[in-house]
Amino acid sequence: MRAVVASLVSSFGLLWSNWRARLGLVMVGGFIVIAILAPWLAPYSPTSQAFGRMLPPSAAHLLGTTQLGQDVFSQLIWGARTSLLVGAAAGGLVTLIAIVIGLLSGFLQGWVDDVLMLLTNVALVIPGFPLMIVLSAYIPVHGVGVIIIVLSVTGWAWGARVLRSQMISLRSRDYVASAEFSGESVLRIVFREILPNMTSLIAASFMGAAMGAILGEAGLEFLGFGNPQVVSWGTMLYWAENSSALIAGQWAWIFAPGLALALLGVGIAFINFGIDIISNPKLEA
Amino acid sequence: MRYLIKRLAFLLFTLWLAVTLNFLIPRLMPGNPAQIMVQKLVGEGPVNPQLVRAVGIMLGLPRGTLWHQYGLYVYNLLHGNFGVSYTYFPYPVMTVIAQALPWTLILLGTTTIITFILGTALGALAASRRGTWFDTTATITANFTATFPFFWTALMALYVLGFVLHWFPQSGGYDAAMMPQWSATFVLSAVYHSVLPALVIVVTGTGGWLFGMRNNMIHVLGEDYVRLAMAKGLPRREIALAYGARNAILPNLTGFAMSLGTLVGGSILVETVFSYPGMGYLLFNAVGNSDYPLMQTIFLFITIGTLIANFVADILYGVLDPRTRRGGVSA
Amino acid sequence: MQRPVVSIEDVVVTYRSKRRHTALTSVQGMSLEIGAGEFVGLVGESGSGKSTLANAILRLLTGGGEVERGRISFNGQDLLALSEDALRAVRWQDIAVVLQSSMNALNPVATVRSQFRDVIRAHRRSSWSEQQVDAEISRLLSLVKIDPKYASAYPHELSGGMKQRVAIALALVLDPRLVIMDEPTTGLDVIIEHEILTDLRELQRERGFAVLLISHDLGTILEVADRVLVAYAGRIVEDRPAEALLNHPLHPYTRALLDCYADPGADQVRITYIPGQPPNMAALPPGCPFWPRCAEAEERCKQGRVPPPTVLESGGMAACHHAAAEVAAVDSARISGAVYVKSSTNPNVNREPVITVSDVSKTYHRERRPVVALRGVSLSLPRGTVTALVGGSGSGKSTLARLITGMERPDRGTIRFDGQDIPRLGRRGLHAYRQHVQMVFQDPFAALNPMNTVGYTLIRPFVNYGRMSSAEAFDRVRQLLEQVGLTPAEAFFGKHTGELSGGQAQRVVVAKALAADPDVLVADEPISMLDVSIRAGILRLLDDLRTQRGFTLLYITHDLLSARLLADQVIVLDRGEIVEQGLASDVIRSPQHEYTRLLLRSIPNPRRRMLPPKAQVSH
Ligand SMILES: Nc1ncnc2c1ncn2[C@@H]1O[C@H](COP(=O)(O)OP(=O)(O)OP(=O)(O)O)[C@@H](O)[C@H]1O
Ligand code: SF4
Ligand SMILES: [Mg+2]
Repeated sequence: MRAVVASLVSSFGLLWSNWRARLGLVMVGGFIVIAILAPWLAPYSPTSQAFGRMLPPSAAHLLGTTQLGQDVFSQLIWGARTSLLVGAAAGGLVTLIAIVIGLLSGFLQGWVDDVLMLLTNVALVIPGFPLMIVLSAYIPVHGVGVIIIVLSVTGWAWGARVLRSQMISLRSRDYVASAEFSGESVLRIVFREILPNMTSLIAASFMGAAMGAILGEAGLEFLGFGNPQVVSWGTMLYWAENSSALIAGQWAWIFAPGLALALLGVGIAFINFGIDIISNPKLEA
Repeated sequence: MRYLIKRLAFLLFTLWLAVTLNFLIPRLMPGNPAQIMVQKLVGEGPVNPQLVRAVGIMLGLPRGTLWHQYGLYVYNLLHGNFGVSYTYFPYPVMTVIAQALPWTLILLGTTTIITFILGTALGALAASRRGTWFDTTATITANFTATFPFFWTALMALYVLGFVLHWFPQSGGYDAAMMPQWSATFVLSAVYHSVLPALVIVVTGTGGWLFGMRNNMIHVLGEDYVRLAMAKGLPRREIALAYGARNAILPNLTGFAMSLGTLVGGSILVETVFSYPGMGYLLFNAVGNSDYPLMQTIFLFITIGTLIANFVADILYGVLDPRTRRGGVSA
Repeated sequence: MQRPVVSIEDVVVTYRSKRRHTALTSVQGMSLEIGAGEFVGLVGESGSGKSTLANAILRLLTGGGEVERGRISFNGQDLLALSEDALRAVRWQDIAVVLQSSMNALNPVATVRSQFRDVIRAHRRSSWSEQQVDAEISRLLSLVKIDPKYASAYPHELSGGMKQRVAIALALVLDPRLVIMDEPTTGLDVIIEHEILTDLRELQRERGFAVLLISHDLGTILEVADRVLVAYAGRIVEDRPAEALLNHPLHPYTRALLDCYADPGADQVRITYIPGQPPNMAALPPGCPFWPRCAEAEERCKQGRVPPPTVLESGGMAACHHAAAEVAAVDSARISGAVYVKSSTNPNVNREPVITVSDVSKTYHRERRPVVALRGVSLSLPRGTVTALVGGSGSGKSTLARLITGMERPDRGTIRFDGQDIPRLGRRGLHAYRQHVQMVFQDPFAALNPMNTVGYTLIRPFVNYGRMSSAEAFDRVRQLLEQVGLTPAEAFFGKHTGELSGGQAQRVVVAKALAADPDVLVADEPISMLDVSIRAGILRLLDDLRTQRGFTLLYITHDLLSARLLADQVIVLDRGEIVEQGLASDVIRSPQHEYTRLLLRSIPNPRRRMLPPKAQVSH
């Protein structure tokens, strides 16, 4: 554990030393702070319909109001919670599935590997977003939880494949054989000797998965296949589009949640850029 | 040859799997979609028995073993019989799809090729000019565009280029006053209508290829054979192309499945925003109307299309990488 | 000297990393000249700046390396000042290179032929017709002993040795004036290495191009070169004609390097090894960089400036305060380091065997083609003795090591230890078995997890096998570290692999194997990745530990000299079969099998120059 922590700390230092990654960390960190402090930052309740409808941006309503008279700015702030929750949860689940399948497949090899790899390759070529749409069409309950599960079921293949090949390359290293000679158990070899050497790759998979999940969730919500009553950037766009916000001149209502999504995405992409450089020093500019 | 056979076997296997998945999803889902649909039909007045039957075959019959149903289902698929659409009753699903398919094939086909070529070329260029303003601009721009949500980019393009500037039409695949036909004016109108959706897909989709290519290329440019090529005194261009890009493109093709998945998903959103008469918009409507037979079939077609595209990418890889070929001198 | 083709004056090269804000000056002022048609060898340990210098000549430095100072001229034109286009004309046309690790020097997606063609085209030799070009390619391939039909092959269809030969042929295609060869044969089988170098020397003689041959192996260099440059810590410390350097080395480092070689067939084999570690370029001591390891260092060496080159009247130079005095000295047979002597003894190899291998075979399947690694091999390891398993690459040595240690199972045959048949052991059985049979790996850096500290690595066997707590194990680890010569032990406890030198890392690997207190130690090429100057030290360590602890050692190597030094018994393996076996002194001093003789002939031996030197270069 200490080694893992130590390597995390030193990787963080390296990350921080790259300006893009630093910017990404600041951006994502900013969103996390906003999500946590939402009740204090948001001027109104995001669901309160106490205001005039379709008001243009003003001092009282920085981004205007919705067709139901809700404050867009407050919704924007609360929406960060949904996106980050989905990103963290679905990203985490996807990474977990990818780790389990990738590591098992890479470590065991033989027929287990063949079967898991076939499964992975199949999951990789089946288009994820349409599958998400179909699945969510059948599931009677709609909500963030369902979306997280659907995203996890459809999103793990790429990570599993990448982790598997890393696993295969690491497990044939001499130090793994050497650990066997030290009398280490299989579990200890996997978790203590191999996994710490995969942290940057796992972090990268997590970031990629989280980004995919955030965009996927927003897409589903935007199409109205989520629960439109939940406050999220995706549903905001759904309602905005459905009430012809653009034509009504409520451009801020559409512009803001999309920009928030894009900025969160860019932040994550910047962090991943930094991770890439750590794990592959040749990329250093 | 062996490689080709392997890829072909994988294609057939995944095709079979897609068909089976399509069969199983509605049957394994909670809440019995077939039941829901039939009830819905009953609730709307006199029930057409043909429709009930079609729903049964696609989504699950009340009677019969799963195997029996599977047999019937496959039999129907093989005969191009995908049932009747609920939304567009009494048209068969196939007819509805036949109208939407070309739109998506053309839109997605051309944009996939354009994004691939553009992203790969820009990525290669960025890598061979590493650290220059071009590289920095390209990577940072790509960092942004690649993470923009497709539908948001679409909405913004629609607003600015369509609504405000009136440069392009705001929705549809062709002028609403026309009938689809093979005439120059219609084709022109179709092209004009597709510029904006295509633009959005290209702008959002290129970044992924660019990054992939840039990273591979940087890796390849550090290889010994590139250093040797420099030592040989070959012109810069030749090194970048014949040594660098030629090798770097291979791993980029391996990531094809991933990028294509993103594009396919993105195009559904884009089509919906522009009310473009393709498969994505159709899928959106089918789901909205609980038209399960139509939805299932669209999903099947999208999957099959993706599988074939991936197969083509695999074959291309096989052609480009001599290591997948067997034989030669040493055999 | 004739008019030099290339002259390098006081070149300094620094690698800078923007991200890590580091700068490493790995070439600290090297000067040398290479005459037309001269065969010059550059020798030095890993990191001494050889490749950096070679790359600087054609401006091929990577990784942020830049020439900070100095002049590199070819035929009077300053290469460092040339425009990109003008430089391109010099590249390959006048100066060609064979890169270090040519394994990867061919474009994997292009045929051999097209890699010849593009360079011909680029230098506008297009007056040649297609047929002429093809004929020329065939001729060059034949020249390096490759069947011309391989012109249409892709690199992955060639073996390592063939790729190397293709790289050499490629270097000659435009008839360059100088060919720079950076370790053109590392990683190849000794026999093939010897063949390639012999052929190269012949080619060079015929066609009259100059060669700068870079190697870490003085033996190799002395066999083929007319003149030898010795590099240490980014500087050239001695530059002399080969004969003179061999017979009367002036710099203590050169002398010490020479003493690392001996004739394995001699009655009494004596080699010396240089104490201490190869220099850390980032923290060189003041004064002469060699003084911490120099047997002749005095006070003035340890401070002030680096000793300036003493130019000798007889030609050449040496950068040592003693150089001038040394020239006068008649006898240079001085001890330059710690000595390791092995006399002919008659060890008792008739003791009862610890491990008996009977009729073992193993076949691998590479891309559906069977590769026979071992064919009916039987041998036994007598308790408390050292057996050397000798063979070229691909002879099946490492496979046998993996079978004996239970890392893999044979297709056929038995391996007995203490009444058990090892291939039949399950996971549990193997776990118990490994306490008794331990392994030392070839590459110490690959065998140590970069994430773990030395302390952690060494504590684990005690915890697993000795059922000790970490605190109890701590003391044992300290003893162990001292035993393998890593003192003070405390300083090494918290270190990560990356902070160790190659020799230190290999000592940690040895210590780790010993922590289990094994009966048998299998060491697979434990010194081949290490610098020449510290190899003997590791051998000596293994020998001493064996005497102290009484384990049985299976020493795997391609190098008969080290086998002679260490082993009681020698087994020679060729293409998966045992071709000769017997007492070490017998087998090595009077080999019976042709393959053993070939191996013996292929050992680099400075005292046996490959060819009589070309008409001595006059000064
Ligand atoms: N691309 C690079 N980036 C950074 N530092 C480098 C690079 N190449 C070499 N160095 C450093 O320069 C020093 C000299 O390296 P160089 O490769 O010239 O040594 P060498 O004598 O050729 O060693 P070897 O025998 O291992 O090939 C080393 O300390 C090395 O770490
Ligand atoms: S200068 Fe001194 S320390 Fe350096 S090599 Fe000569 S004697 Fe040894
Ligand atoms: Mg080198």
